[in-house]
Amino acid sequence: MDKQLVVAISGINAVDNPGPGVGVARSLKEDGDLNLKIIGLAYDAMEPGIYLDWLMDKTYIMPYPASGQQQFIERLQYIKHQSGLDFIIPTLDVELPLYIKYADKISQMGIKTFIPTMEQFRLRNKDCLPEIARRIGIKTPKTAVIHSFEGFSQTIKRLRLPLMIKGAFYKAYRAYTSQEAIGFYHRIVAEWGYPVIVQEVVAGDELNVVGVGDGKGFSLGSVGIKKMWITSQGKIWTGVTIKNRHMLEAAEKFTQLYKWQGAFEFECIVAGDDVYLIEINPRFPAWSYFATGVGHNLPSYMIRHVFNLPRLPAADYETGKLYIRYTYEQVTAMRPFQEMITRGEYSHEKIV
Amino acid sequence: MNRLTQLALSDEGFVFDPLTGESFTVNPTGLTILRGLKADRSLESIGREISDQFEALPEETERDITDFIHHLRTYHLL
Repeated sequence: MDKQLVVAISGINAVDNPGPGVGVARSLKEDGDLNLKIIGLAYDAMEPGIYLDWLMDKTYIMPYPASGQQQFIERLQYIKHQSGLDFIIPTLDVELPLYIKYADKISQMGIKTFIPTMEQFRLRNKDCLPEIARRIGIKTPKTAVIHSFEGFSQTIKRLRLPLMIKGAFYKAYRAYTSQEAIGFYHRIVAEWGYPVIVQEVVAGDELNVVGVGDGKGFSLGSVGIKKMWITSQGKIWTGVTIKNRHMLEAAEKFTQLYKWQGAFEFECIVAGDDVYLIEINPRFPAWSYFATGVGHNLPSYMIRHVFNLPRLPAADYETGKLYIRYTYEQVTAMRPFQEMITRGEYSHEKIV
Repeated sequence: MNRLTQLALSDEGFVFDPLTGESFTVNPTGLTILRGLKADRSLESIGREISDQFEALPEETERDITDFIHHLRTYHLL
């Protein structure tokens, strides 16, 4: 590929609860046929991705999504002017509504994105999952959507403990006693408000799919995994590739039925032939490099699709491939940190 | 498709289920039974192989196979 594409990736906070950006950048760097300049978009000068000079060519500090659209758009305009931005892969839940809402404006600036529509984004609401599951032929655990404490009290009497107490978008706690459930309920209401989702715990294997939909009902690729070992924050540390036909077919049907556009993560519990849908994340998960490692470079598939570049030959993946995350220490000069603090940007090309 | 036929077996007795990502280990007798079942052999034929291979009495072998199949059913592999 002759023309260089400038691709920005957010979520480069590769910390104990890692953002997906570093894995996405690593995937793109591994597609040697793409001529890419990678821009890291950080919200804090200490996000580790900033300092990974083999992955990032340049990094910028972004205003927090809560700062509003004007600052956000102005910052993108500045980055476009400075670095010639062609494509952005936002990877954080909290920023996606902003990118979706202003997708047209961003497009008019000459920057492409490949993200779900607002309607698709809303499907991730946990109170939408039972209907989605029904339509794609799988199940959800018994679920109640709660809008008052009275309703909550009745529900925890009706459903069997242990129960999952969840916010509509974020946070999920497992409660073994009614007291615990009440404590989690108050915590979620205080932090995220209503509705609160109460869900029965289903025994089975926790299996996931990462995939990319083309927005027209077709999948650009997908990989199924089992999380073998997770951290205290519930994040994958070790995983293995699997092929659970029921789950993979359900993910395919989801892409087809909802004409999903962009990356997604499908979280399921599988017990025998029963597949329970637990969560849909409308973005790449933090472990998406796993798919690249087994031959499905999904971020690259996405860019090739958007820019009409030759598609990579259709690949299959082997089951039983292991994924092991590890920690790594980087020692560097103070300069990148200093420039991120003072100027809000840093180019690795300057390092001598 | 029978889940058992999809199991990946190593010579050392490591078993991986590509449907669920579960893995476990079996002893040489278990491995012989799994290989036999995967190949759709009869329990009698598997029993004879075990008796010959491990110099075990047929009634002992039969009990081992019955126990092992019970375990496979418990794990929904059969």
